Amino acid sequence: MIRNMSHYIHGTVKIKVSGPMPEKFINLCVMKNIFLWGLTKKNEGLFVCMSLSDFFSIRPIVRNSKNHIKVVRYYGFPFLINKIKKRKMMVIGLILFLCVLNTLVSYIWFIDIIGNKAIPAQQIRDLIAENGLRPGMLKSDIPVKNIENQVAFTLPEVAWVGIRFTGIHAVVEIVEKTISKPQDKEPADIVAVKDGVITEIIALSGQSAVKKGDTVKKGDVLIKGVSYEGAVVDSTTINPPQQKIRAKGIVKARVWYESYGESELLTTVHERTGRQNIGVVLRIGQQEFQLKKVAVKPDDLVEVDTFKKKLFWWRNHNIIVESTISTYYELDEKRVEIGIEEAKEQSKSRAFTSLQSLIPETAHVVSRNIEVLQMPEKNLVRVKVNVETVEDIGEFTSITIKNEVSAPPK
Amino acid sequence: MQYRRNRHLQRLAGILEIPQDIVLDLPRITMLGNKQLLLENHKGIIEYTPSLVRIKLDQGELIICGKDLTLGNLQVEQILVEGTVEEVKYDT
Repeated sequence: MIRNMSHYIHGTVKIKVSGPMPEKFINLCVMKNIFLWGLTKKNEGLFVCMSLSDFFSIRPIVRNSKNHIKVVRYYGFPFLINKIKKRKMMVIGLILFLCVLNTLVSYIWFIDIIGNKAIPAQQIRDLIAENGLRPGMLKSDIPVKNIENQVAFTLPEVAWVGIRFTGIHAVVEIVEKTISKPQDKEPADIVAVKDGVITEIIALSGQSAVKKGDTVKKGDVLIKGVSYEGAVVDSTTINPPQQKIRAKGIVKARVWYESYGESELLTTVHERTGRQNIGVVLRIGQQEFQLKKVAVKPDDLVEVDTFKKKLFWWRNHNIIVESTISTYYELDEKRVEIGIEEAKEQSKSRAFTSLQSLIPETAHVVSRNIEVLQMPEKNLVRVKVNVETVEDIGEFTSITIKNEVSAPPK
Repeated sequence: MQYRRNRHLQRLAGILEIPQDIVLDLPRITMLGNKQLLLENHKGIIEYTPSLVRIKLDQGELIICGKDLTLGNLQVEQILVEGTVEEVKYDT
């Protein structure tokens, strides 16, 4: 390994020795302390490797031994340098390339802003640009600490700012403060969102306006957001001064939902036969080219799946190149007949699914009532579903000025 | 004369426990299987072909027969014969 390296550094010449007595040449070399290696004999002659410096001193030996030599191969560092000397422009180009690369890399080309949720990126971009971080700036000229401080100082929503350079990107990392939402302290009533019968009413603050067992309509006030200041001495005769507050409380009511679902006994189903055809349309700008046409008769039953592929040239390229690939599936009409029970089941589940969106998740279902309706058409099964739930129907509605006015009587 | 001198030297080497190759100027052959043969203390090459190498020694010569023989490392002191060595023979 080390010997090979030293051979490479000093340069190696492989020569062919041809003549009557190549052995004599070898012996003379050995006598002269010339190191030889890799001796092989072939039909053409003897091949010998030697170092470049030794090569220049073998001329007398060759003369003496009456042999002819020919350089077959040469390799090593001295030859490499020679080669480079002949191709100066390449070396200059290489150095130039490294210089240019180094220069270009020391500038900021892109600014990435990550971590911002509420603050628009443009605002941050403008702010850091004001403070001296713009694309095209020299990396070493950017006062990173200063900008970080400035951003954190200017934008109160920012908890922490970090600027780091990764190659030609400047990454501005932003951590926003999580500002807790100010609690709504506005005075409000609790109002019914649905019709129902009150089963439970607990007013934590405010005055309850309905009793248990009352039937309420949507929009009725359930708990009033007023309170009477001071001790209630004698509330029957004198109304103490009122104060608007935010009502709080639990109002539960029985609510009824009703829904219909129907299902046909005999249905026609379209099924794919498996045969398909593909049509391709190429669009360049405003021009459209039909690359592959699919002949579809108007009375054919087909299903079409289209999917568009856009080609991005550059982001700001304004010629749209787009291909539309439509797959035409041949369809088969099939009549499917189902039993009455199955039809009932289907319509029931349809009715329930339509109800599902109406009933809130927190509602407690008390009872379900399913009723099969008699229909004049024989082909149709219709089911009516009644669901009774107990749920919270209260909703905050801020007290309007009109509501609030209640002058204390004299 | 030469023979007697050698006898004396040999005895001396035996008494002093000195390796005989140093005292008697003998060649030292180290073989690595049949792949490599390192010969130290030689007097030059007489003949070299891929199947036969003849090396001159102090007394007589060493004949190495084999296949694809190459001389790996040629110096004043040593010769490295590489290839497949089949036969090593002294010819005095």
